[in-house]
Amino acid sequence: MPLLTPIEDALAGMSDLARAMAGRERVRLAVTGLSRAGKTVFLTSVVANLLAAGQGARTLPALEAAAGGRLRGVRLVPAGTEATPRFDAPGHLAALAADPPRWPGRTEDLSTLELELTVSPASWLGQARGMVMGDRRVTLELLDYPGEWLLDLPMLEQGFEEWSRETLARLRVGRRAEAAAEFLAFVDALPPRATAEEALAREGFRLYRAALLRLRDEMGFRFLQPGRALNPGPRGEAPLLWFFPLPEGHGGGLADLLRRRHAAYLADQRAAFFDPFFRRFHRQVVLVDALGALHAGEQAFDDTAEALAAIAAALRQGGGWMDLLTGQGVRRVGFAATKADHVPARAREALASLMGDLVGRQTPSVLGAETPVRAIAAIRCTEDTSALLEGRPVAAVRGVLMRDGRLTPVYPGEVPLRRPGPEFWDAPYFEMPAFQPPRLLGDGAAGIPHLGLDALLAALIGDLL
Amino acid sequence: MPRGPRVLTEEAARPAPRLDLGWDQAVVPVAPPPISRRWSAPALAAMGVLVLLLGLSAIDVAGFVADQFARGAPLGWLTLGVAALGYGLIGWAGLRELRGLAALESVERGREAVARGDHAAARRAVLDWAARVPAAAPTLPALKQASDLPTLLALLEAGPLAALDRQAVAAGRAAALQSLAATAVVPSPALDGLFIAWRGVRLVREVAAIHGLRPGVAGTLKLLRRTLFEAGAVAAADIAINAAVTAVTTNPLVASVVGDAATGAVAARRMLLLARAASRACRIVTPR
Ligand SMILES: Nc1nc2c(ncn2[C@@H]2O[C@H](COP(=O)(O)OP(=O)(O)OP(=O)(O)O)[C@@H](O)[C@H]2O)c(=O)[nH]1
Ligand SMILES: [Mg+2]
Repeated sequence: MPLLTPIEDALAGMSDLARAMAGRERVRLAVTGLSRAGKTVFLTSVVANLLAAGQGARTLPALEAAAGGRLRGVRLVPAGTEATPRFDAPGHLAALAADPPRWPGRTEDLSTLELELTVSPASWLGQARGMVMGDRRVTLELLDYPGEWLLDLPMLEQGFEEWSRETLARLRVGRRAEAAAEFLAFVDALPPRATAEEALAREGFRLYRAALLRLRDEMGFRFLQPGRALNPGPRGEAPLLWFFPLPEGHGGGLADLLRRRHAAYLADQRAAFFDPFFRRFHRQVVLVDALGALHAGEQAFDDTAEALAAIAAALRQGGGWMDLLTGQGVRRVGFAATKADHVPARAREALASLMGDLVGRQTPSVLGAETPVRAIAAIRCTEDTSALLEGRPVAAVRGVLMRDGRLTPVYPGEVPLRRPGPEFWDAPYFEMPAFQPPRLLGDGAAGIPHLGLDALLAALIGDLL
Repeated sequence: MPRGPRVLTEEAARPAPRLDLGWDQAVVPVAPPPISRRWSAPALAAMGVLVLLLGLSAIDVAGFVADQFARGAPLGWLTLGVAALGYGLIGWAGLRELRGLAALESVERGREAVARGDHAAARRAVLDWAARVPAAAPTLPALKQASDLPTLLALLEAGPLAALDRQAVAAGRAAALQSLAATAVVPSPALDGLFIAWRGVRLVREVAAIHGLRPGVAGTLKLLRRTLFEAGAVAAADIAINAAVTAVTTNPLVASVVGDAATGAVAARRMLLLARAASRACRIVTPR
């Protein structure tokens, strides 16, 4: 940790305090989620529904109840001179409402957006302040980013050797080994004192990336590093990316080159992504596609759990005793299983419970008493129905599929309350088909239909209002 | 129990329209119960007195005119003319009153449409308003072409409304100088207060005129009430007012006349504040 950061943190803590006293809080909401977890859709829905609520629509009843009806208005903070792209919530909403609808693509760059909530004061102190300063205004800072990059966070604390050891150990077991067979054969055949041949480095990286892509796209694995190998971002591919894990005992020029690239990559990610955006935040919501992980099979499910635990550990490590002193450690975390509309209403409790099991298994300490774990759908795309399956009635959901535009019932399988035993995993790999969003008003005046988003927001930011 | 997830394709399924979850209806704002606009007792009494005054006097005058005709035609016509002129003037005053109220009402409608985000209604109200206000004439073509609400509002704020706010502040400054001078020359504090009150009402009407409103008595009362409401918001935020007060009270000319500007400064401050508040109250869109 650089020497200056505790001082910077203390300054940030003081400015937070001053802002709170003046009734001008800024709250940074960190949305953490692996790729395809539903971050972009979640943010779009939060923005649309908050803006609609600011206009008086009852899109977020639980949040309004938490705010005691004091929410007076919501607006997008107009663009200033930011160097980071702006999160295009209106654009995403229009695409979802268009005919035919389009879901946002994979996010390839950082983008930010700020919402300003105007709240009438609650206490007499607040009212006294209101006489001088006007209404309270809470600025909510939102950030969208490619989910793959989040897994660079646990890399920051590791050296090249440690990272190589752990990564290769993971790659060598089970179905991962099948996908990475070519790469593993390549690194195992490398002479231990290989010289810094660029051709070798490039070929190793090519094979490594091919393995990562196959693991992500065909098998549903998530613990894949480095993130920019999968999603290079707006700056495209740079030489600092061309490294891959090396088995132990390598000590030649090639190992040296890869080690330097590894260090340069981490320094770059830290400077461009983690330090400016992830070092300080006040609230955090962890989004997980728990159902998708369940459907992807036993190993992918455990892989997701491991990835989440590693990220949680890395985030906790950032917050030591110094953070408690400087007030930067005060964080509220919420966990949400996304796409809850993929299961019928009575399976949603189970989904939330499975989610708690998924994030709580390796990190029991993060799940405090009041930490909310919920199943939500940022956009509700289905309705409940029942269907006959092998002669028995089952609860299913029904929605219009993206691929053929037909109203189709889907049986999501049984949702276990916690990680199921071995007999559960016999079912073949299944990927939930994408549904068309329901009919939406393109201007967002009525928000977006959702499930449980209001209760999650109430638990996360309700105390600020 | 079958467990594996699966898509239950039905052969007969035909392409379907988008799912309609009835969300738009579910979230419509619960409208506050309409406030029944019943007449209050004093208003009813005042109305009765008015009817009695006008009605009885009309009957009386009619009788008088008939008497005059009995005395001779020319005298009758003359009396009829005088009576018609008198009642015409009263009627005209009433009409002006109603027109003032209607203009205020249309501003209200515009504001409501903007708050609802109803582009069509807001556009209608704004164009209606722009036709009445000279300062809006240059922006009128652009306003007509604005294709969405944000553009419409941005055009309004940047063009006519900025100009109107400036004019209102100028009017406030003039009123501030006058009341400053008045506190210096008026001998008694009671008269002082009277002058300030009168000047304040006039200022509000001036600002209303700047915004294209010509409120009558009822309209002025309504506007005064709204202005007092807005004054809280203005006093809360504005450092600009303090700066303006200093600018007015440290004017060398004023200083030489007033000498000790402390009491006058309070009056001047009130006028400046009032001008801003009145301007907020009269605007076609609520200031952000
Ligand atoms: N039915 C349903 N599908 C959802 C919901 N949220 C997300 N999805 C689906 O999940 C996909 C991925 O969502 P995104 O929000 O783009 O995921 P992301 O976390 O931003 O992914 P990256 O940008 O790759 O990190 C979408 O294209 C949708 O098909 C939801 O609330 N309901
Ligand atoms: Mg995204």
